Amino acid sequence: MNAEPWSWKRNALDLAAVLARWLLGALFLYMGLNKALHPVEFLKLVREYEWVQNPLLLNSIAAALPWFEVFCGVLLVAGVAVRGSALMLLLMLVPFTLVVLQRALAMQAVLAISFCAVKFDCGCGTGEVLICRKLVENGVLMLLSAWLLMGRGRHLCARYTLIKSESRSGGPTTARSSCDLTAT
Amino acid sequence: MAVIGALFAFAANEVSPRGLALARNYFPGTARRSLPTATATQLTPGTGDTNVAVPSPAKLLATRLQANGLQLVDSSQVVQLFRDPRYEQELVVFIDARDDRHYQEGHIPGAYQFDHYRAENYLATVLPACQSAERIVVYCTGGDCEDSEFAALTLESVGIPKGRLFVYGGGMTEWATNSLPVEIGGRNSGNFRHAKP
Repeated sequence: MNAEPWSWKRNALDLAAVLARWLLGALFLYMGLNKALHPVEFLKLVREYEWVQNPLLLNSIAAALPWFEVFCGVLLVAGVAVRGSALMLLLMLVPFTLVVLQRALAMQAVLAISFCAVKFDCGCGTGEVLICRKLVENGVLMLLSAWLLMGRGRHLCARYTLIKSESRSGGPTTARSSCDLTAT
Repeated sequence: MAVIGALFAFAANEVSPRGLALARNYFPGTARRSLPTATATQLTPGTGDTNVAVPSPAKLLATRLQANGLQLVDSSQVVQLFRDPRYEQELVVFIDARDDRHYQEGHIPGAYQFDHYRAENYLATVLPACQSAERIVVYCTGGDCEDSEFAALTLESVGIPKGRLFVYGGGMTEWATNSLPVEIGGRNSGNFRHAKP
């Protein structure tokens, strides 16, 4: 454990990072389960985007994506492979946000309404949402993911990294040693 | 990490009783609904942007059904078929293409449930009824709902001639709006909303 006394500012940042990890994890767990428990509804919503025509690919996306979100959510809440999970979320959030934006723009053009008045079920797991609110939400989630990716949120985690890494002295060290189990 | 996640995801889908069959085409047929048509129902005719030529949902539905070799029936035709003496003899059959929850909440009296996304659960009951019927009316919620088309095409794929299949575009919403009898719970539960048939 780090013997160096922490300043209150650092403690607050660490606490915020742990809360961010839990929030992000819980949110993806909730959204993923919402879709995983209603796969047909999610399948219909994925089809609306018209990304893919091939039934096998369409079904695979609708079948796997929700459970993948659940997987990442559980890892984040438990504090396992935190940076890898955060990277996965970021890699999902960026393209999803772009396609949701693209669809919202197309809907705006057809409906001839203001952009922020566009409301639809984007298949995000939270039902119908106003597009501006959704974009802000996704922006916040991307920032939190990027923050965790930078190495924050390692307190109160079960296993911060999955793979064993070399210590500075050259000897092997377990992944658990890089995880600070002290409460912030 | 991504590989482990993907393996977990596909395994969970496989194990889940609600999991999707990856190789199955849940959306049979040739015509697809594009984005403008998906949102067109939100426009009130005559009040929307007149520069955007959006056909009415009913017309789009008729075109889609025609492309798939199916026939559209309207409210008056459906009521006529419902009151047809052949309905009692099951020579006219109604098929509700919605999921369990919606079906239990209310369906056309005597209608069989056929959620084509879980076809295997219903075919054993629905197929014999359809095979002996002269006319089969398939419906779902109405409006944007496409499940009645997919259910009709699924029935066609298991050997029901297209000529016997009719899609009620107005669906359950129109039926209930017209204050026609609605059966609650299972088929022939005897529990009716509105007038008893």
